[in-house]
Amino acid sequence: MVCVLSSIIAIPLFSIVWKVVSKGYKQISLEFFTQNIPNSWEASLALKSGNIIPGGIAPGITGSLFMVAIASLMAIPLGITIGVYLCENPNNKYASIVRFISDLLQGVPSIVIGLITYSWVVTTLKSYSALAASVALTIMMLPMIIRSTEETLKMLPNSLKESALALGASRIKTTYYVIIPSAFSGIFTGILLSVSRVIGETAPLLLTSLGSSSINWNIFSPTSSIPTLIWDFYNDPNLLNMVWSSSLILLTIVFVLNYIAKTVSQSRNN
Amino acid sequence: MKKINYFIIAVVVIFITSCTNNQVKLNAAGATFPLPYYNLAFSTYKNLNAINISYGGIGSGGGIRSLKDKVVNFAGTDAYLSDKELAEMPSEVLHIPTCMGAVVMAFNLDNIENLNITPSIISDIYHGKISNWNDTAIAAINPNIKLPDLKITPVYRSDGSGTTFVFSDYMTKTSQEWKVDFGHGKSLKWKLGIAAKGNPGVAGVIKQTRGSIGYIGTEYAFAQDIKTAAIQNPRGEFIKATTKSIALAAEGDIRPDTRQMITASTTKGSYPISCFTWIIFYKDLSIACKDQQTQIETLKLLNWMLSDKAQELTLKVNYVPLPPLAIQAGLKILSTAK
Amino acid sequence: MTDKIFKQLLFVLSLIVLFITAGMIYSLVSGSLPALREFGIFHFISSSEWDPKAENYGALPFIVGTLLTSFLALLISLPFSLSIALFTGEYYKNSRFSRIISSFVNLLSGVPSIVYGLWGFYSIRPIIINMGISSNGLGILTSSIVLAIMIIPYASSLSSEFLGMVPANLKEASYSLGSTRLEMIRNVMIPYASSGVTASYILALGRALGETMAVTMLIGNTNNLPSSLIATGNSMASIIANQFGEADGLKLSSLIAIALLLMLITAFINLIGKLIIRRFQ
Repeated sequence: MVCVLSSIIAIPLFSIVWKVVSKGYKQISLEFFTQNIPNSWEASLALKSGNIIPGGIAPGITGSLFMVAIASLMAIPLGITIGVYLCENPNNKYASIVRFISDLLQGVPSIVIGLITYSWVVTTLKSYSALAASVALTIMMLPMIIRSTEETLKMLPNSLKESALALGASRIKTTYYVIIPSAFSGIFTGILLSVSRVIGETAPLLLTSLGSSSINWNIFSPTSSIPTLIWDFYNDPNLLNMVWSSSLILLTIVFVLNYIAKTVSQSRNN
Repeated sequence: MKKINYFIIAVVVIFITSCTNNQVKLNAAGATFPLPYYNLAFSTYKNLNAINISYGGIGSGGGIRSLKDKVVNFAGTDAYLSDKELAEMPSEVLHIPTCMGAVVMAFNLDNIENLNITPSIISDIYHGKISNWNDTAIAAINPNIKLPDLKITPVYRSDGSGTTFVFSDYMTKTSQEWKVDFGHGKSLKWKLGIAAKGNPGVAGVIKQTRGSIGYIGTEYAFAQDIKTAAIQNPRGEFIKATTKSIALAAEGDIRPDTRQMITASTTKGSYPISCFTWIIFYKDLSIACKDQQTQIETLKLLNWMLSDKAQELTLKVNYVPLPPLAIQAGLKILSTAK
Repeated sequence: MTDKIFKQLLFVLSLIVLFITAGMIYSLVSGSLPALREFGIFHFISSSEWDPKAENYGALPFIVGTLLTSFLALLISLPFSLSIALFTGEYYKNSRFSRIISSFVNLLSGVPSIVYGLWGFYSIRPIIINMGISSNGLGILTSSIVLAIMIIPYASSLSSEFLGMVPANLKEASYSLGSTRLEMIRNVMIPYASSGVTASYILALGRALGETMAVTMLIGNTNNLPSSLIATGNSMASIIANQFGEADGLKLSSLIAIALLLMLITAFINLIGKLIIRRFQ
């Protein structure tokens, strides 16, 4: 029965992936990764003559990776540490509040997080920026990382922690050198899911990093990203094809990330 | 604690790259209606002058808000600011029109290429009073077409939009019933039909639903070859939206501050649901531009947008260039900006 | 660093989460006060009017829309995500096969919402129309189906991890007592991992409650109380996304009030979820 249900889910999964791949692969070439964004006119010319739309999404790819990397730098240490704290204090009233709030954050629509980050960071810095976007992404990543860390740690046998402490290791050493490595797989899955989620989110990025027509490495300036490009392409009557190819890139990044991570964590477990 | 070292190194690297990357960049945000044109114009400008301009299509409201919060150098809007809105801005805001466009009634009927329609019929359709394509009112003004016995499905925008604003402005001027029941604004309380988000949403629903009719921007309809109706203008002529008919709507005097709706124009041969789109900025540019260099470049860009070269580009993406009077008015306004 | 300082550090860092959320609530409350003062909290929640011209706004249709679509999505996704979790966490654990399957399922979480909306519009909507369920193919049901597919990876990935962490000796003990695989799963694995599995479903539900773009493209965007599952309607996240760009004054305040309501509803559902778990344990 399990097999039957699992295989039914394969149908929409394949349908989506097939749609993205079949509509998007024609656009993919080295140029796609390295060139700047095409405009509507170039696209309409290309469409009329039956060619592929010229140009690429280089600013979007670099921007997405840049902002997600910074967000991860902020969210992962913070999230894991808070998860550890929650696990260490299961019955503390304060800890249950933190846990509750973390679940709460998960349900906030991404657009609301984008709006709030706009009013805190963008207006204060007087500019749309990659930093603001990273802050928004961090807020979105935290709940998942916190909860998966906490739950994974809870499932570790107590004996592990106790034997490390019995051998005289300090609390901090125990946490970082014994417990977390053993819980690596579970924590990593949480991190992976949150990265996969934010790398495809549009609204918060649009409201905080605005988008850019060229590659940007300045954390205080507007930056492009794949989802904002997809939004631009969607709203342009000539660039709709680019939506599929950009999504294909996104999916490939997510797939590769996931596969590498799973391989690494499973080899660590064995 | 090796991990902390990596962390510190990463932070330092990020700061260094950020501080060294300081060429002049212009930031703007606003309406999605002119987005294809602005992207073309700005990338052409970049090739000429090596200045990067980023324009985010977050909607006219988002653009206005961004300008108010001084986080962009200028903003794009499909609806000019009302006196009340102008008063709420921190400092005097100027408008210049950048190009023209129009709102069309797109429809999905097999084997019918040309359709005549009047504002009162449009109003009746959205009220549900006319619900079938073979209704006598529609047949009366389309004598040479055999209309099918098919339910009419009206489509409208679910999101607040400048396109709705222009469309409803026209309908309010031409139909008393519409004025009373729906009024005009960026989003209305509709009675029936399918709602879709954005121009692509409405265009998508129309293409996929037989018997549907809805309003979308011309750049969309032209680019995707969607059939559009000929609308009766105040002179009684049935006019389809074309570059020429849209340009005719702007003929005649224009207000010095260029804040003007040009729907239901009485010029002969004009398309009745035409519109301008504007760029707004502070008269005192230093408010939203951090340094002297940015101010100079912003002014340069805005002047260029009114030049022949920029206006020629509009035609390439199915927009319409500004008439000479509008360009003059715009340049005059720019000369007052500091 | 001594243990005591370490403990303090953990405490301080967790304050950041509280600080962020408190700030968020503050911004939302201050933004929604004008609307709440104008309409009164109770009236706002129970009114189905949404009239931009008369400036009369009520949140009921959107609350109903959000709850219907999210819970329906959770319900639809439950059998599938659970079976995938079992598949990869137990039956084919640690094999390359399960790695590929879970990477593939996690792919679903990386698909941008716009693409889900587009796919739903061009693939699911015709199916609904052809099956005669609804004439325009949009509505609560369509968006719930797509939403279900979107949240499956959240539920299945994490549950899979937790199920896989059940200690082998516990499983073997069960077998040695003569239980079948199914019985072992039902009586040993799931109870042991229940805390984690439930947490992953709550996270998935949270995702569904807040999902914007895909729902907007498929729910029909009519601001009325949905009369049935095939009717069109609107959700809280979707009305905010649709109207925020051009809203100001009382309307903007109403939208912010809706965002605040969404947070409160999420909090409420989480609370109830926890109570239910405690009942079962």
